[in-house]
Amino acid sequence: MLELLWIVPALPFLGFLILALIGSRMPGKTAAAIGVASIGLSALLTVFIGINFISSPPAGRVYIQTLWEWFNVAGLNPGIALRLDAVSLTFIFVITFVGFLIHLYSVEYMEGEEGYSRFFAYMNLFVGSMLMLVLGDNLVLLYLGWEGVGLCSYLLIGFWYKDPANGYAARKAFIVTRVGDTAMAIGLFILFTELGSLNIGRLLEVAPLNWPVGSSMPVLAAALLLGGAVGKSAQLPLQTWLPDAMAGPTPVSALIHAATMVTAGVYLIARMHVIFTLAPVVLTIVGVIGALTLLLAGFSALTQHDIKRVLAYSTISQIGYMFLALGVGAWSAAVFHFMIHAFFKALLFLGAGVVILALHHEQNMFKMGGVRKMIPVTFWTFLIGSASLAALPLVTGGFYSKDLILFYAFDGERANRWLYAAGLLGALITALYTTRMVLLTFFGEAKTHLHHKPTWIMEMPLVVLAVLSTFGGFVELPHTLGHLTLFSDFMQTILPGNQVAEGGISTELILQLTAAVTAILGIFIAYMLYYKNPERVTALRRSAFGSRLHAFWKKGWGFDWLYDTLFVNPIVWIAEVNKSDFIDLIYTFIAWVNRMFNRAFSFTQSGRLRWYAMGIALGAIITLTIAVFL
Amino acid sequence: MTSADLYYLMPLIIIAGASVVMLLVIGFYRDHTVTFILSILGLAGAFISLAYIRGLPREIGALVIVDSYALFYWGLITLASLAVAILSYGYFSKMEEEKEEYYVLLLTATLGSLVLVVSRNFVSFFMGLEILSVSLYALVAYLPERKRSVEAGIKYLVLAAASSAFLLFGMALVYAESGTMDFLKLGAHLNSGAVNTPLILAGFALMVIAVGFKLALAPFHMWTPDVYEGAPAPVTAFVATVSKGGMFALWFRFFTEVNGYRFNSLMILFTVIAIASMFIGNFLALLQNNVKRILAYSSIAHLGYLLIAFLAGGRMGLEAGTFYLVAYFITTLGTFGIVTVLSFKERDADSLDDYRALYWRRPLLATAFTAMLMSLAGIPLTAGFVGKFYLAAAGVNTALWLPVIILVINSAISVYYYLKIVVVMYRSPEEEVVAGMPVMTVSPALSVGGGIVLSVLTIMLVWFGTFPGGIIDFIKIMISGISSTAITMVP
Repeated sequence: MLELLWIVPALPFLGFLILALIGSRMPGKTAAAIGVASIGLSALLTVFIGINFISSPPAGRVYIQTLWEWFNVAGLNPGIALRLDAVSLTFIFVITFVGFLIHLYSVEYMEGEEGYSRFFAYMNLFVGSMLMLVLGDNLVLLYLGWEGVGLCSYLLIGFWYKDPANGYAARKAFIVTRVGDTAMAIGLFILFTELGSLNIGRLLEVAPLNWPVGSSMPVLAAALLLGGAVGKSAQLPLQTWLPDAMAGPTPVSALIHAATMVTAGVYLIARMHVIFTLAPVVLTIVGVIGALTLLLAGFSALTQHDIKRVLAYSTISQIGYMFLALGVGAWSAAVFHFMIHAFFKALLFLGAGVVILALHHEQNMFKMGGVRKMIPVTFWTFLIGSASLAALPLVTGGFYSKDLILFYAFDGERANRWLYAAGLLGALITALYTTRMVLLTFFGEAKTHLHHKPTWIMEMPLVVLAVLSTFGGFVELPHTLGHLTLFSDFMQTILPGNQVAEGGISTELILQLTAAVTAILGIFIAYMLYYKNPERVTALRRSAFGSRLHAFWKKGWGFDWLYDTLFVNPIVWIAEVNKSDFIDLIYTFIAWVNRMFNRAFSFTQSGRLRWYAMGIALGAIITLTIAVFL
Repeated sequence: MTSADLYYLMPLIIIAGASVVMLLVIGFYRDHTVTFILSILGLAGAFISLAYIRGLPREIGALVIVDSYALFYWGLITLASLAVAILSYGYFSKMEEEKEEYYVLLLTATLGSLVLVVSRNFVSFFMGLEILSVSLYALVAYLPERKRSVEAGIKYLVLAAASSAFLLFGMALVYAESGTMDFLKLGAHLNSGAVNTPLILAGFALMVIAVGFKLALAPFHMWTPDVYEGAPAPVTAFVATVSKGGMFALWFRFFTEVNGYRFNSLMILFTVIAIASMFIGNFLALLQNNVKRILAYSSIAHLGYLLIAFLAGGRMGLEAGTFYLVAYFITTLGTFGIVTVLSFKERDADSLDDYRALYWRRPLLATAFTAMLMSLAGIPLTAGFVGKFYLAAAGVNTALWLPVIILVINSAISVYYYLKIVVVMYRSPEEEVVAGMPVMTVSPALSVGGGIVLSVLTIMLVWFGTFPGGIIDFIKIMISGISSTAITMVP
């Protein structure tokens, strides 16, 4: 069974190839069927492989499938191999399964759009690249997938390329993440020159033997890898691209910019955890970045009008939680939160998509309202997803995953009270903006009429995801509630565990109560502020300080402005000044030299036989001279 | 020579026999398809017979040596001829000329190339070369209705004859000094030390002229674009592959056998030739708009690259060179094959305009052509990349820094004109019409055989680029069977 692993990424790639080559000539239904079926089969296969892997685990709990050795010349033999273990299995499960649901949903959502088959081609390429990223056995393959998903993200953000704003958003996403990618590439070079390999298994073995804890090399390498991770995962200071990435179609936002790709940074750090443990400073920075990001993005989410931007900021914020978890060494908690987050965030985006489509591409929440009766399935599933995001106690998956992170932040071996406090404050804000979003969108007066009523194709994924985001949390229950550790046991076959330093059941119970109260408090405050007496909020926003703060938060803490001033404008200025590019002269000179040579040699190609014969005679003289006299 | 020896010469006998049979059949019953099938049977039979040759190496008389190295090149050459023959069928079906003799000439030319591969004596060397050349004169000028074809034939005849004269004179000088025409004995003589070096070197240098001419290396390259352009497209494919492959195999054997590597001046000579070929080929291709001429110039450059393997010498050089030649055969047959299948009755599809927006008319053909051009440019996942990498590795291992650096520079230059063709193929017809460019709306129907050959070549191209392990191992085994006393097998 495990030998079939290669088919999992191969199917999406095959789908992509078919769609890219002949997709535009086939009817839309066929294109969609190919797109959906390839991912669906992949997902099905992943489930079988997963069952097989768990029921009869391979030796060492890692399964390596060597596909082929590309070539073996002069000592260089880059191999192509896949690595399946607890971490990558979880990731491929989420990628293929959530990917499949979103593909299915897109069949209806994208119906009638120009470039229907192109959409599925890109989406398939994305899923394939993402699978490559998480299954790659060496960092080169991982990097290949990493760049592949970056490319797909670019292509899909700019999917409606006729609007220049979308093109701008796509370029922004590409360029900003590129900053991180460059750092990561340099990190890979360092790992290769210092440790002599980029094979993941080998790196994790060799690194602790060669590098003492806290020495400069692992710090440098880990910091550079972190650079790549913050870029891809939209964390401080490279978070600015994600809100703009919402320019793409909503299923894209659901799949790429919420559920899967943006968590690649989390995957990278979890994968390279040994390097990060060797660099405790960097690990602390990871936690701090996570805490800061989750707060900043949370505040920004609170002020957005566009429902997709709320969700975008909430994604940044939730990934902040995962980084926080990584920072405190709660590796499996990070992966757990990744999984639950993927479920409920995909659900929320898809639900938002239904609303947007229902209201004729309206994304402003203040123009929505009262749609809960028109699209009941969407409303209830959206509510479940929101509850999970707000971490409503006991009944949602989000509660268990977030609680685990907070628990380790408070009580784990790398516990840090500041990070815990930030996480708790973040939980309050999360509950606030989530409730605000639900109230504005679904409650109150209906402001527009229904434009498109979703069919089962769009509703089925919502229901499945709602089930998953609720019951997905029950694979890992805290000591106080049933004490089930299926997930962390599974993760700890690969990732190190986290010893709880002190306390006991009572500490844990207090922590849980705090978290639960915080979430409920947040929901209550939001209810009071945005539903009962919205005048108070309006008044607050009208006040001088309030309006300024609101604008500041709404613009994402002015990071765009800062980067524009620091980087973009100076570069644009230089480009303006240097319109007739003097550096280009070097290249035009090279081109000119080439053309000159071309002209000179063309002169010899006269087409005259006597000239050619003379050429041979001249060649003979030269040949003889060199051979005999040199 | 015993009757058992004949068994080792089976491929030669089958091909020679087939051409005689074909001549007889043509005498009584002139039919394109029948002649074509006979030629296919001959070539395929020759190829199959290779599988039954055992007990290598085998010396036959003083002239011929059959070893597994020769066997590999025999296989390569017969397969290439087979591909050319199949491509020719579709191509000549459109023509009104008498087509039947074409296949006879194709077989005799192949025979010449096969003889070169097993030669170990000046006599068989010259004989093979002449069988090949004389057949080629007629092949190049096979379409008398086309002025350029005849012109190309005459040019080729005059220049090839001149180069043969140089070859004979060079052999004479070597013979005058050493008193032998046998490669083996010549090698032994050179080892003995009592050698009049200038005379030997002058002889070698004059032979290099003929070899350089056949391989289209600078400065003996000038005929290449004219002949490539003028000759019918399948003949061009033949000139570019079969005739060069046989010569390369022979020259590598000769040079290692007599250990020409000991002469520093010859090494300098080949370095100069390699560098000149790379630069001249690529520079000339740069602004060319005729696809056949582009490919002609590119082949000059590619043979320049190949010389790096030759300069490196030894086992690694031989492996790299052979692999590169295999990749070169595939891409060259593929590119000229595409030119062939797109050609019209009146003229070959050699203008860049014929490829404008090809992707929108013939997506699969355009994709295959793109793959071929990528391979020529040395883009990864194609055989061309692995070949170039192999060459560079062989060059670096023997510290041939200058040629390797020049190889890299030239690879960069060459990308320009390969991509130029690709870009033209993928422009949408509407844009081109708006831009005032001529856009073809019809293209000739693709023959079944041509389609099969091109698909096989494209698959091989990608296969050898992604899984080169198998073919490399095979080459290693076959090459290691080279029957040579002098070869310095560097592990």
